[in-house]
Amino acid sequence: MIQVLISGLFLGGVYALLAVGLSLAFGIMGVLNLAHGSLAVLAAILYNKSLVFFPFTPWVFCILALPIFLAFGCLLHMVIVAPFRNLSLSDGVVASLVASLGIALILEDIFVWWQGWEPISTYIPFPTFSLLNLKIPGLRAVLLGMATLTIGLSALFLKKTDLGRSMRALAQDKDAASLYGIHPGFTSMSALGLAVILAGIAGIFYSSLYPLGPRQGLDLTLKALFIVVAGGMGNLRGPAVAGLALGFIESFASFFFTYTSTDTIVYTLLVAYLVFKRSGRH
Amino acid sequence: MKRWQIYFSIVILCTLMISAAMFNEGYAGIFVFSLIINGIMAVSYDIPGRALGIISLGHAVYFGIGAYLFGLGISKGLSFFPSLFLTVMISFILAMLVTLLLAGLNHGYYSLATLGVLIIFQKITETLEGVTGGSSGLYIPEVLSKQDCSLLAALLLLATAACHLYFSRSRWGLYAKETKASEAGAEAIGIPTRKVKTLCLMTAAIPACMAGALHLARTSYVSPSSGFSLALSITALLASRISPLKGLPGPLLGVLIITAAEEVIWTKFEGFNHAWFGMILLGAALYQGLSSEKI
Repeated sequence: MIQVLISGLFLGGVYALLAVGLSLAFGIMGVLNLAHGSLAVLAAILYNKSLVFFPFTPWVFCILALPIFLAFGCLLHMVIVAPFRNLSLSDGVVASLVASLGIALILEDIFVWWQGWEPISTYIPFPTFSLLNLKIPGLRAVLLGMATLTIGLSALFLKKTDLGRSMRALAQDKDAASLYGIHPGFTSMSALGLAVILAGIAGIFYSSLYPLGPRQGLDLTLKALFIVVAGGMGNLRGPAVAGLALGFIESFASFFFTYTSTDTIVYTLLVAYLVFKRSGRH
Repeated sequence: MKRWQIYFSIVILCTLMISAAMFNEGYAGIFVFSLIINGIMAVSYDIPGRALGIISLGHAVYFGIGAYLFGLGISKGLSFFPSLFLTVMISFILAMLVTLLLAGLNHGYYSLATLGVLIIFQKITETLEGVTGGSSGLYIPEVLSKQDCSLLAALLLLATAACHLYFSRSRWGLYAKETKASEAGAEAIGIPTRKVKTLCLMTAAIPACMAGALHLARTSYVSPSSGFSLALSITALLASRISPLKGLPGPLLGVLIITAAEEVIWTKFEGFNHAWFGMILLGAALYQGLSSEKI
């Protein structure tokens, strides 16, 4: 049972990382980015391809690939945020949702063409250690630590840097932020860049722990979106906690029920939460 | 709606009716049947989609429910019409439950929840292997000739179009427009917004359920991924949105464009059909964003 709990903790850490990026994008720009999970898969594929030439560890690759993820974020901003800035908030959300779904579908086919149907697995051998008679897989523990560190650094970035403060100001009131000299275009582009970096890191970590299918991006996005809804839009702590909760739920569901029923249970809980949570209602 | 738009709709509907009677076998038969089924999905989607301005990513959930309920009825030994009747009755209750649960959600959340519900039903049908056949799907024997299936589907399209026309001209249609403009404002002048939304969504759900049943009757096979298909939901969404025409001609013209595009994509760009769908979605969203026309 404790082992299931630990497994849930590791999975939850990756979900939290994924959800935090999405929460940032929604909180600051009002964008429900359905391509978020596909970007995670893209990062996993890039890492997998790079392993053929250089045997990087996941965390080294994450640092090296930061500019690539940032560039993807900027490109994405031009397609799913910038064209909709003249629309009202609710219309903008729907338009960005449709556009990002389009991007997700395009990416999925590109992944299958590029990578094939084989799931991406970037597992690297790492020693397992024992703690209080419990077997702790070293790689998972390191990745959980890295995920926690990434979320912590993101929170610090938002609180302590000028750009982070600008992002928070934009999330609160776009017009007032503009009056104070904050450039909404540049700030929201940077925010989406940060969100894509977090998605990329999550994708690399996920593929190091579990096989990741080329068409699994939308599935990951949906889980992340529900985590964001459950944890609250635009903050980091809520989605991080909700992500951990989802990891535990998935771990326990696959332990007590069949593997195929896990998704049914998880999605039912998530939709039920969405329906009964007040923030989703008018 | 202008007079020429009514004539235009009548011409498309009549052409589809005649085509359903003429083409039953081979590629032409399948294409005409796909056009009619997509037409039912798009016109039914357009009722709440246009009137309330909401985006559903899970309209195919009703299609899947209809197909599976009908299939289960047939496999339990019922004949076509009792099974269809039972499908409509149970679908009505299920659709009512789904609608009541989701009708109160905001636009973005509603889209998200509909997608979640679609996946839930897909996973449930995959899990209940003993009842639904699991991921390998459900097969039924032929219960009706292909021509009868096509004609019934064409009649259903006609009925759905009539519902669309009636709804847009009724007081409920006006209530829906007011609700779309401002929900708080509509409530302030005494419009029961929740009831309007539920009625709108239910009117869309029932034809989609029946389309699922008729599709299964013609093809004899349904699987979780083909019944509760995201691609079908997107087809309905796109057909409803892509056409510049408003009212009933909008989804009818949209369905002609999308189904033709689908056929070209499937035959010429095998393996990239999702990507083409994605490009059309992206193009439609960008067009609306760049022209600053509210969705």
